[in-house]
Amino acid sequence: MTKRILVIDDDLGIRQSFVLALSSLPYDVDTAESGAKGIEMEEQNSYDLIFLDLKMPGMNGVETLRQLRKTAKQTPVYIVTAFHKEFLRGLKEAAADGIDFEVLSKPIGIEQIKLVTRTALGNPETF
Amino acid sequence: MEKIEIKLYVSGETPRSKKTIAAIEKICKEDLKDKAKLEVIDVLDRPDLAQKETVFATPTLIKKLPAPIKRLIGDLTNTDKVLLGLELLVKESEA
Repeated sequence: MTKRILVIDDDLGIRQSFVLALSSLPYDVDTAESGAKGIEMEEQNSYDLIFLDLKMPGMNGVETLRQLRKTAKQTPVYIVTAFHKEFLRGLKEAAADGIDFEVLSKPIGIEQIKLVTRTALGNPETF
Repeated sequence: MEKIEIKLYVSGETPRSKKTIAAIEKICKEDLKDKAKLEVIDVLDRPDLAQKETVFATPTLIKKLPAPIKRLIGDLTNTDKVLLGLELLVKESEA
């Protein structure tokens, strides 16, 4: 069964970058332009991997992550961030509350997206 | 056995981070016979160090010594895959 990936980011360019990067891999990729839309899509579908932007208007990445974890308890979630200080405290608090996530730092390239996706859905890789 | 230096980059004190740290500490103690110097870095505390070392995702494990430098990304809880990835799998005759 084809693995499904959800990319939640308010920036169209970032969403397109993920779609382009993953187009050569055997995965289905959906995108959402907001945290609220991403949560709605996750509730309707079952994803194997989620990439989540941290800095978004409306519901930010930390708030979205907390909501996502109510249904997607085990799904790997990568927070995509440029390490803005105003959000790091929220992430640390989420971690202390037992909420799992990993971090993918911006700016992110095509090959890095592919590598992280392959390893998140498969085996570790050396590079 | 040669000097071994390993750095582990994780994100926050999540359950998954704790599991990864415990797995690498176990490898250092049992498989590398306490010969490895392990440094754990939380990228939420020290994003500067992650940027300096071009760590773009967590968890990332970097073997600094012995050369060559090796970087491993992904699920780091499988002992054989970690040792193989870092080229630290000790042959029976060398153990």
